[in-house]
Amino acid sequence: MNSSGSIRFHYVLRAVILLAFALYIGHLVQQDALHYYVAPKLARWIRLCPVPLSLMALSLGLQAVLGRSSALCDCEHRLPRSLLGSSALYSLFLLPLLLGFLLPDRALGSAAAAKKGLALSYTAVESGTGASFTAANPYEAEFAELAGQLYRQPVIPVFPEIFSETLGALNLYKSQFEGKEISVSGFLYREPQGAGRSGYAVSRFLVQCCTADATPFGILLAPGAQISLPADTWIEVRGKLHVTLHEGVETLQIAPQSITAVAAPSTPYVYTNADAAAAWKELQP
Amino acid sequence: MTTFTPFKILPLLFSAAFLLTAGSLWLPGHLSLLDNGYVDTFKTAFLGILLEALPFVLLGALLSSLLRVFVPDELISRWIPRRAVPAILFGCLLGILFPVCECGMIPLVRRLMHKGMPLYVAIVFILSGPILNPVVYGATLTAFRSHPELAYTRMGLAFAVAACIGLIIYGTVRRSPLRLSIRREGSEEPHGTLRGGRAAAVLVHTSDEFFEMGKFLIIGCLLTAGIQTFMNQSSLSAIGDRPLGSYVFMMGLAFALSLCSTSDAFVASTFLHTFPSGALLAFMVLGPMLDFKNALMLLSLFKTRFALYLFFLIAAAVFTGSVLASFWL
Repeated sequence: MNSSGSIRFHYVLRAVILLAFALYIGHLVQQDALHYYVAPKLARWIRLCPVPLSLMALSLGLQAVLGRSSALCDCEHRLPRSLLGSSALYSLFLLPLLLGFLLPDRALGSAAAAKKGLALSYTAVESGTGASFTAANPYEAEFAELAGQLYRQPVIPVFPEIFSETLGALNLYKSQFEGKEISVSGFLYREPQGAGRSGYAVSRFLVQCCTADATPFGILLAPGAQISLPADTWIEVRGKLHVTLHEGVETLQIAPQSITAVAAPSTPYVYTNADAAAAWKELQP
Repeated sequence: MTTFTPFKILPLLFSAAFLLTAGSLWLPGHLSLLDNGYVDTFKTAFLGILLEALPFVLLGALLSSLLRVFVPDELISRWIPRRAVPAILFGCLLGILFPVCECGMIPLVRRLMHKGMPLYVAIVFILSGPILNPVVYGATLTAFRSHPELAYTRMGLAFAVAACIGLIIYGTVRRSPLRLSIRREGSEEPHGTLRGGRAAAVLVHTSDEFFEMGKFLIIGCLLTAGIQTFMNQSSLSAIGDRPLGSYVFMMGLAFALSLCSTSDAFVASTFLHTFPSGALLAFMVLGPMLDFKNALMLLSLFKTRFALYLFFLIAAAVFTGSVLASFWL
């Protein structure tokens, strides 16, 4: 058991660390950088965290400064007793804070996409067969409706709000979208060298909960395209859709007519949408 | 007895100051080392997982402290059915009421056990809670739009695995496998003497739990972020080419990636064309029950022998269950 003096010392240290965590989250919120790490639906909860964190720090500080020595006891949760143990414990907690404050916030890019492997089709879609946009089962109804809307456009726009759903709908009925014109923006992804193929793709990360589950989604650019831009540049691609065989699987490709560099968007990732068809209607001017 | 006085930290401050000076002299010349894709990816993945888990850990710690301060001992044990089978069903249903991510689970379960929840019910709750809840069911259905049967099977298999392990533990484990750090008797004296009364007591306990669990969480996040940054998933998937290899590979991946149970279905769906659906099922059932950060937290809660026994049971049950389920799918 620790003496009351050392318990006070531990409490002060812990209060400082808790406050630092609260400050770091506040800093992320203020810089509007929380979306680099977690999806918006989770960010709501993280924004609330500084409240309990600072209350905890306050009550620890209160015990450390004003607490009666007899009431200070680490009987249930043992505090580390050796100097080594304490410094190991607290440096572990300082590590995320240091990383967070010292290094700039950056979105995931090509390097991460290469490790995770670029996904070229959204969900498990058995390629659509019918002549019209009919859903094979109720779960595809939303995609069928969206595909019908997309088909009527002279140039298919890919809105970031429904990025993954749009790609999913295109993939489901890929044979019918053959030759249609499309306009899509994302970061330029280059297949890693030595993989036996040197293709380009326009891609975005789909985030469900946090960056741990980020999945890179994209459309391949046809092999002949001459691209001088470096990887990770944000680009807008316009071109025609074609179905080709990529590693033995029928895949949509864009034969680009124009590739222009654009400014990076304020939210680099895309998120899933519960009702893509309704979102499409809202996005129409 | 060693004491920890502020004076003893002085030598540590010297070395810290030295490292700081050396670092600040050395760094400007080598900034390019920090400025590459790996560091960025590592930082983004590490803080992403940590921030994601933070609200759940705080919630779990807070619930646990509220239980400790306000709920009298043995009250919980009165609610739990006496006989094994209804008690196991109760443990599974508890997950529907508390849709907590697995990271918030451990402090809560620890306190519930302290208040008289039997071991096997607690294990069933730990295993089924992160999967058997409406949020995860919805997320799985969305990810597998064209294969809704995978979502049903996931729920069913999670229930079966949790119930089986609960029964096995009920039958085989007699002595409490809890680590000594939570003693059952004597430590539950009222903390009215703390400054600030009961509210302050709740907050002090919450922060104790936070630091207790936080260290395992941070180590788990570090390992996971390292794996995410340096492991090449597509080249590894070649291992999974053989029929049973794919099960082992997907289970290993679930353990290493430490995804949240609400989002792993999505990652699994990107493997649909590469692996049989039984292997995806194994991925989605094992991940929430057992992964890096979870395993470390379980090791802090239980004695090592029991924890290893539990890991073995989980892996074996999920493997058998998903192979059996694949015949039906």
